[in-house]
Amino acid sequence: MSTTWLPCGVYHETYAQDHAWWQTRFIRGKMVLLAFILFAVIPFLADSYGLSVCNQIGYTILGALGVQLLIGFCGQITLGHAAFLAVGAYTSTLLILEFPWPQWMMQWGLAYPVSIFIAALVAGIWSVLFGLPSARVKGFYLILTTMAAQFITVDFIITQYVSQIGGRGQAFSLPPGTIKVGPWVIDSDLKVYFMMLALVIVCVIAVVNLLRSKAGRAWVAIRDNDISAAVMGINVVKYKLLAFFVAGAIGGIAGAFWISNLAAVSPEHFPWFWSLWLVGVILIGGVGSVHGAIFGSIFMVVIMEGLQLAVMPLADTFPKLLMDFLFIKEAAFGLSICVFMIFEPNGLAYRWWQGKNYFNLWPFSY
Amino acid sequence: MELFLMTITTGVMVGGIYALVALGWVLIYKCSGVLNLAMGEMTLIGAYVSLSFYSMGVPFLLALAFSLVIGFVLGILTERIFLDKLIGEPVLTVIMVTVGLSFFFKGTVEFIWGTDTRVFSPPVFSIEPIHIGPLIIGQVYLWSFIAAIILLIVFVCFFKYTRWGLAMQATADDEMAALSVGVSARFVYAAAWAIAFMAAGVGGTLLGNINGLNISVGYLGLLVLPAVVLGGLNSVPGAIVGGIIIGILQNLCGAYLDRYFPGAVKEIAPFAFMAIFLLFKPYGLWGWERIERV
Repeated sequence: MSTTWLPCGVYHETYAQDHAWWQTRFIRGKMVLLAFILFAVIPFLADSYGLSVCNQIGYTILGALGVQLLIGFCGQITLGHAAFLAVGAYTSTLLILEFPWPQWMMQWGLAYPVSIFIAALVAGIWSVLFGLPSARVKGFYLILTTMAAQFITVDFIITQYVSQIGGRGQAFSLPPGTIKVGPWVIDSDLKVYFMMLALVIVCVIAVVNLLRSKAGRAWVAIRDNDISAAVMGINVVKYKLLAFFVAGAIGGIAGAFWISNLAAVSPEHFPWFWSLWLVGVILIGGVGSVHGAIFGSIFMVVIMEGLQLAVMPLADTFPKLLMDFLFIKEAAFGLSICVFMIFEPNGLAYRWWQGKNYFNLWPFSY
Repeated sequence: MELFLMTITTGVMVGGIYALVALGWVLIYKCSGVLNLAMGEMTLIGAYVSLSFYSMGVPFLLALAFSLVIGFVLGILTERIFLDKLIGEPVLTVIMVTVGLSFFFKGTVEFIWGTDTRVFSPPVFSIEPIHIGPLIIGQVYLWSFIAAIILLIVFVCFFKYTRWGLAMQATADDEMAALSVGVSARFVYAAAWAIAFMAAGVGGTLLGNINGLNISVGYLGLLVLPAVVLGGLNSVPGAIVGGIIIGILQNLCGAYLDRYFPGAVKEIAPFAFMAIFLLFKPYGLWGWERIERV
């Protein structure tokens, strides 16, 4: 599904062309247009609400990328990814608040960027810890160990111990001015938006390139059949743990990014629901494609916001509706997952692929 | 010593209820290979239905029977509407459908019954505790345990001696073979969901009697999973033993470890124990070890 058919009459003549990211000039043009829209159109057209929706989409993409890597490319089903987001967010927050940074690093605004790196590292290692059982178990048993990761990390370690550090009670808040990238203080939706774009682009490029490398091929082999992968000489345990590490690291980046938007962090931001939400996102977007994570994130966030907008005008006549909106949202999320799984098991990415190929192959549909 | 005995007894009693819910879980897994993460919400629905009838003044046993009937209908409907179309789909798809179902059920329950804690009033079981030797046992616990045991025996007999039960066992063992001797697999799947829904309803009602009923009772559905995994996914006795072990473990941790790790150790212990346990015995105590070939 990942291969795109070229438009009629286009052939490759060199290996470089065959391996190129964007294979025709038209696709390159589309990408430039996309970059233009992302960097120049959206930030100046969208108001603060629109930007916050965009930031939410970006956060969801970052979270879903890791889940996509684990489920879609390595076949390790995980239902506890929010734990790694939480680890990233808390690592970053604690580093900013408690670590004695040297004065010059503070002045140059390096504290937050460095803390993102460290958060990625810590979350990755934490994820490997809970990926260890994957060496022996798979399928449903693995789901349970990742669920254990969620409950042990968020509901126990973070709620009971980590969030008590410094005697701040449950929620940590980051004073304004502490989140600083270089000379820019990240304090408005627009700045968060640009940081989100940078991180999403870096992570997507990293994941796509990883998938093109030896590790990516090993992951796909493990996903398709781990026994035959082992027979082929792939070190299954090593690559499974590597997948957990990369997925956890991206989750850590997502968590560390999200504190710049909220300027606060508390265990309630990382419930089990959020883990399931991320899995739902990639299922709706399409399992096994990076596009899928992006489409799914956009779709889910926009649909939920749209639902909210649709409910608001009705609130005057039916006040109960507004009160119960959370429950309706929950039920709608559940039902939409069921419906998608039953009627569109390949996800939105498959539709996109079909549509693209229709135009690529036109007028010959083969 | 007394504390220890008390903890063990309470653990066994609560474990009986876990076993009841775990049984429904194993049943669905055995018959149709579906990993059902919506079990907790099924428990909630059954519990709320019987609570609603009870609050309307219907006698307790009759209310329970009503919830069984509704559970039966809902089980069949769920299977027919959502799961029937997924036979032969990959595991992840089916799991996520049950996750979707769990959100759907939860949202619906919250929408209909709200999120406040509700109690069975007047209390069904008397508050007066029973003394057995040095042990003090709440009547609720005792009756719940007895009810759970009776139902477990009924279930086991059902599987061993009735036509339907045998058909279900046959489908669990080998679907193709069962189909070829004339067992209707679709009927068996529907029956499995109906029975699981009913078992969950009884479990939920009993638990609701102990501590009152709110949305967090649905957490039970997750707590049952360690019990099921401990016993092995496809073993009915395993579910019972696993449920009781998890009940005891939870209470022991609550009683002895809470001092050193204040907070939610009681909720976490089963999961932590299970994660470590799986490293050593990946198929639980009595699960089938799959021999895989390329």
